[in-house]
Amino acid sequence: MPFWKNLSVIRKVVQLLAFLFLVYGSVFVGFYSADKLSGAFPVLSCAYDAKTADYCVLIPLQHQLGHRLGPALSAGMFSLSLILPILTTLGTFLILFVLLNKAFCGWLCPLGFFQEVLGMIGQKLRLNRTESLDDKLVDRIRPAKWLMLGLLVVLLPLASGLGFVGHELGDPFCKICPSRILTSLFAGQLNQLYIDTSSTGYMILSIIADLLFGLILVLSLTMRQPFCRICPMLALHALFRKVGLVKLVKNYTSRCEKCGLCAKACPMDIREIHTSKEKDILMPDCTLCGRCVEFCPDKGVMALKYAVIPIKVSDPQYFKERNKAQKRWEGKQKPSRRVKKDQ
Amino acid sequence: MHWAPAPVEHGKGHGGGHNRNAAKAFVLIEGERASLALINPKLNETALSAEHNRVTIKATGMDNYHALVALRSQDHLHESAIRYHYMHGKPSGESPSQLMAYEKSVLEIEPAPYAREHWRYLSNTDAKFLLRFKGEPLAAADVRLTTANGTTSQFRSDAQGMVVIPLPEDFPTVRAGRMGNRASEFILSAEHLDGTQAFTTTLSADYHVNPEHWQSTELGLAVVGGGMLFGGLITWRTRRRKEKK
Repeated sequence: MPFWKNLSVIRKVVQLLAFLFLVYGSVFVGFYSADKLSGAFPVLSCAYDAKTADYCVLIPLQHQLGHRLGPALSAGMFSLSLILPILTTLGTFLILFVLLNKAFCGWLCPLGFFQEVLGMIGQKLRLNRTESLDDKLVDRIRPAKWLMLGLLVVLLPLASGLGFVGHELGDPFCKICPSRILTSLFAGQLNQLYIDTSSTGYMILSIIADLLFGLILVLSLTMRQPFCRICPMLALHALFRKVGLVKLVKNYTSRCEKCGLCAKACPMDIREIHTSKEKDILMPDCTLCGRCVEFCPDKGVMALKYAVIPIKVSDPQYFKERNKAQKRWEGKQKPSRRVKKDQ
Repeated sequence: MHWAPAPVEHGKGHGGGHNRNAAKAFVLIEGERASLALINPKLNETALSAEHNRVTIKATGMDNYHALVALRSQDHLHESAIRYHYMHGKPSGESPSQLMAYEKSVLEIEPAPYAREHWRYLSNTDAKFLLRFKGEPLAAADVRLTTANGTTSQFRSDAQGMVVIPLPEDFPTVRAGRMGNRASEFILSAEHLDGTQAFTTTLSADYHVNPEHWQSTELGLAVVGGGMLFGGLITWRTRRRKEKK
């Protein structure tokens, strides 16, 4: 299969370009211009990074809640001007979100790309990969992203602004965000990888951040997208997913029930996509990577659409070629120790 | 002559506490009879008047860095003092690099670049500046660093007019945490003789205690290693469980 026809390869190229731009963007757009771009580019890269061209929407959201709304509420003052910055933040996020929907996660996020690259390295190292997590485990993990959004991005910054909790919790998600460490490391800075001993709160947060980063480094080798599953960005996207122009649609057939290849291909283990009879199957955990469309063997059953324009529609010929390309890429898998013992 | 933040009046806090649109006062040290101006990001100049060398800068309604400029000429001596101040307001749509590069005085020290969002000048780090004379880089000229903590040292610009200043680790006391340490001031000054005319300039800014005092990268790396081991353990256990099934 020629690589320019392979959606996964196209996506990787886009991800690589996005990674270079988002992590080293100020080299291209200028040191100060980076801040301007940053205000409008809500993906998981951040202002702590020296060369970045973007800025995560979660930073202003936490700061506006923690530094403005919280203190104002605690002083008994409330006005429209207090929530206007929050609405502006969400508004700019929404404009870009309408254009790209959850494809932010699957096509642009630097941390998502990094995890996928580690996954590819894991495949090439022939590490015994866990292609799909247990259904029960997936169900247990799913609420975590809402908890991360609700607690770390909204409640704790607000509580910090109101004075109920310490300053440490003014922007708690940034404090534990693995993308902050990742993008700054790629920009040649070690200054975001630290243990902060200035207070117990900061110390705990920095330990969580570094532990989480180490955990992701290893888990990504054998598991698909470990951090994406708990990312608050995924939850924020899920809230607005119906307004985005990029859609994942399905024309259910009776074969879908027995097949399930789409669910197996899904890096987020969304098993519902193969049983769902809905037309719109953009689930809260979806990152719009398009793998389900690629691995659907039936013509026109699944499609990735931009508004009404089909970008990728499932096709048996493509499926065959894509499967071959996948097998060629994976090579012979090392049998597990149990299989070896049985032999 | 150089700019410095005005001493905080008792009970008034720092420039209005958390109100980022509050007016901010500066004093021009040894700046009698100098003409003062505020240049906004669009390079529009507003004349300022000082009271006992003290000026109060009110929000201009425009976001981003503004330049405080003091100029004084007497006989053959031409002096300037520059300081950059961030103001909140509507986005100007202009890059601060335009303001930094704008010729504000004949001899000038241009930050290359100035600290931006989430960045600040820190002790024990290098800061870069471009020395310009009549808008052109000035090579092999001396730049003197003086800090409010008592450090003085001298540096020389290279062939491109660039000078790298290692900001000293000279805070007398360091407390753990960003909030526990007050910023200090540094002043860069340069002189240049052009025939019979003498030019001097200063650039002042604040700098802060480097957080490396309470943030350990070594410990951070060790914890990342711990996380990796934990990740390995989870992978091993998951695999064992799968094999048992």
